[in-house]
Amino acid sequence: MFFAVKLAFMPQGELFLVKSTERTKQQLKAILRMSNNPSTATDLQATVIPPEQWVDQYGDYRYRYAYSRLRDANASEEVLQETFLAGIRYSHQYAGKGSQRGWLLGILKRKIIDYVRMRAKHDRSSSYEDETDPSLQLFDAQGNWKKGAFRWPRQPDEQIQEVEFRQIVESCLDELPETQRAVFQKSVMDEKDSEEICKELNITPSNLWVRMHRARLGLAKCVETKWLNEKEELGHVE
Amino acid sequence: MLNDRKASELVTKSLRRTLTDEESDALEKNLTDSKELEAFAKLSRQIQISAVEIATLAERGDVTIGPGLSGEAKDRLKDSITAVQSGDVQLSGTADQLDSQQDENPLKRTTLLPSGSDQAWPQQMVAEQGSPYQGADDARIGESRFTVIRPLGKGGLGNVWLARDERLKRNVAIKELNAEALQSEKSWQRFRREAEITGLLEHPSIVPLYQYSFDKNTGEQFYAMRFVGKRTLADAIIEHHERIRSGERDDAGLGLHRLLSIFLDICQAIAYAHSRGVIHRDLKPENVALDNFGQVIVLDWGLAKLSEEGELVNHLSRESNIADKALAQTVDGEVIGTPLYMAPEQASGDLDHVDERTDVYGLGGILFSILTGCAPHETSSELAQSNLKEVLKAIAENRSPEPSDYAQSVPRELEAICIKSMAFKSYLRYEQVSHLADAVELWMAGQSEKKSRYENLRMEGRELRADLQSSIRDLETNARFMSRLPPIQELITAQGDQEIAVWRERLTTIYTGLLTAKSDYQTIAYCKIEAGVCSEIVRVERHSTDHSNIRSVPRSRLRKVKTNPFLDTVIQQKPEEVLTSLVCDADCEPEDNCFGDDDVHLVAAVPVYDQNTEEPYGVVLIDCDIDRVMRRQVSEHATASEIVIACDIHHVMMRSHFGHVVEDSISKTVAEETPHFCQAVEVLQNHLEFIDETNTEVYGARLWLTSNRHGLMYLLRSGRNKTHS
Repeated sequence: MFFAVKLAFMPQGELFLVKSTERTKQQLKAILRMSNNPSTATDLQATVIPPEQWVDQYGDYRYRYAYSRLRDANASEEVLQETFLAGIRYSHQYAGKGSQRGWLLGILKRKIIDYVRMRAKHDRSSSYEDETDPSLQLFDAQGNWKKGAFRWPRQPDEQIQEVEFRQIVESCLDELPETQRAVFQKSVMDEKDSEEICKELNITPSNLWVRMHRARLGLAKCVETKWLNEKEELGHVE
Repeated sequence: MLNDRKASELVTKSLRRTLTDEESDALEKNLTDSKELEAFAKLSRQIQISAVEIATLAERGDVTIGPGLSGEAKDRLKDSITAVQSGDVQLSGTADQLDSQQDENPLKRTTLLPSGSDQAWPQQMVAEQGSPYQGADDARIGESRFTVIRPLGKGGLGNVWLARDERLKRNVAIKELNAEALQSEKSWQRFRREAEITGLLEHPSIVPLYQYSFDKNTGEQFYAMRFVGKRTLADAIIEHHERIRSGERDDAGLGLHRLLSIFLDICQAIAYAHSRGVIHRDLKPENVALDNFGQVIVLDWGLAKLSEEGELVNHLSRESNIADKALAQTVDGEVIGTPLYMAPEQASGDLDHVDERTDVYGLGGILFSILTGCAPHETSSELAQSNLKEVLKAIAENRSPEPSDYAQSVPRELEAICIKSMAFKSYLRYEQVSHLADAVELWMAGQSEKKSRYENLRMEGRELRADLQSSIRDLETNARFMSRLPPIQELITAQGDQEIAVWRERLTTIYTGLLTAKSDYQTIAYCKIEAGVCSEIVRVERHSTDHSNIRSVPRSRLRKVKTNPFLDTVIQQKPEEVLTSLVCDADCEPEDNCFGDDDVHLVAAVPVYDQNTEEPYGVVLIDCDIDRVMRRQVSEHATASEIVIACDIHHVMMRSHFGHVVEDSISKTVAEETPHFCQAVEVLQNHLEFIDETNTEVYGARLWLTSNRHGLMYLLRSGRNKTHS
């Protein structure tokens, strides 16, 4: 049974091939609970901070969020700026329900959507046709794996490695072509359905699928390479 | 059995949770057979978990996720928030984007600049209006740094500092709001408005604004402009009038010319501003800076009014585009400080009627100050003892002052220009500043031509005087020579008629020769004076009507008359001392009563002493026809439009108009006939020359016949128009 194999293989008890979305979320929550990165944002709950303090109080958090979605420092700064300006403009609409931080996050998300959508439209000629296909690097003409296409020794099983692994994933997200990254982020990180993604990016479902697959292949190869290189440098390749 | 590529696609579908049961089975089968596929599947799974983790942590603001904001980025964001809060950047673009999901231009966005950016206005305009280069890298963001050196001045609104631009290594002037003004929102607006208007006016005579920005430390606004020094037109005017007061007359004309050149530059700058729809409204010499190289800079546009039709009104930011009335509300006592140059419509608060002609009034006020050394409403201010309301009331109700009320020697034409510029009713003023400038320029151009004409006039007057002096010297020399002739003494000692007749004939021959040679001489006579009686011994005269006819008067027709004071004086002179004077009748009438219908004569007389007794015996007289001399003089000198030759008692002896003698003027007084020469006549009582510094029209020259007692005055007037015919 495949599930049993996987359970034995992954100590946290995570399932590899799943059909249940709910289960994945629970697993992630468990992972986050294990994380030693408590957010300081709780201190800011229900606190209304004047705009001149937003940069100091919210700047880093919101910027990280924007960066995690856009993978572009300038773009992240820009949407953050627009978020703050919109926050000032619409400050009268903030009724104090929920945290100001959350309210700004809502604006930021919309700004990111706008930005990605506009960038996709603006750069349509180069983005619509995704010409970066990692399959060529991984498969031969018959569609079989090239020799040594993937060497993945084990999953990261320690907390320090999780962080390390996450950083590698982040850096590989940076290297991913924009066309593929946008699809991956919306699908995986924002958990949006295909229809929504196609609408936002103005692409067809088949195009979405192709991009998604290429993104996964590219990410996997990138992460594998970086991980192995790092371990080799440290001298404990397994 | 799927090939690896297809199997990898199923892994992706699996992670997307879209596998069908059939695909799931096929995948499971492949996973067991392919280590690469298994590696890809495990890795992809791990990446997905990690990516979700990243997303979740990022949403929570975890510090381990991605890079944080750099210090510079934080500064930029803070600046943008500050700018928006202070009104530097309008939020319309941003807000629209927030609301609209359909924005067509992704890169059209508000560009916020860091403090110190030179590009604040254009960028803002780009943000509002769009740039033709949108989509390109359309921002050049930089910072400047100024180090304050020392204070330059203080105004009602702000302080001005001399500062150093550390980037360009040059001195600049920095203006910022003072502590009091910082408390007022209106002051902020006005300051910003002043900066914007100044920045939008690009003219060589309008102070160039280098930068408007906010201090990073204090957040206070300031603007940097060209450092033009501290000297203003007010200083130059004071200097000019102090020179005049100290008697440096020669410099006065030059000084006035320089000040008027400056005035024309101001007019050009204001005309330019008007063309852009900006009315300065606070024109005064203190607001005009003069650098060391003659550059004229109009300052202080803080009170400027923008015409609704003007192009600039659309370029001001929302915050700066405050209503004129709102601006005016802050004026009272706060801005203008002194209403010394204020137009009546401003003083009365009639803001609807403030237009370009208000600046014409202000320029007229500056011209007034140049001409008089005083501000137009100086007296009103003094009378009102600094009570602003009273001063404003006086300005609004009283007639506009005239330069001649404050100073003498104001050129009449310039005064007329000034009066027109400062007409109480604005519709009576010059319609445009350029018209005022043209009038002044025309006067200046005419003035140089006039000066040249006046120099010729002076030359002519001096030549006339020198010509007559030469004639008199000649006359005196001849008189002296005629008294030394041998027949003179021989006639004293001659005995008997025959001997007398011989010597008379010889003397007559010589005298006839002199009259023949000197056409201006009318008579030569040798007279014996004894016991108050003058007895002619020899007399040769020119015929009264036939000028070429010279005759010797027979002994029977020789006259014997009582001496007059002139002859009494002559006989008392030492030998060969010649006395020259104007007389009606050299033999009898006193000179002061000679004018009227009588002919006037210039007479030179020399006493004759008996060589034996060494006592005065008689006189030799030469009568010169002065009328003939004067007619010749005025006909030969036609540069002057008018020449008047007057005697000591101010009677007109000769008057010509463009070389033609005006007969009916003779014997009338100067005051009656030519009042424009009165000032010259007055000056010539004690001086040899009268020079008309003010209007350069009249010249006067004095010729003494008897030193400081008797003489003539030449009065000349220049001009192109034939008047007083």
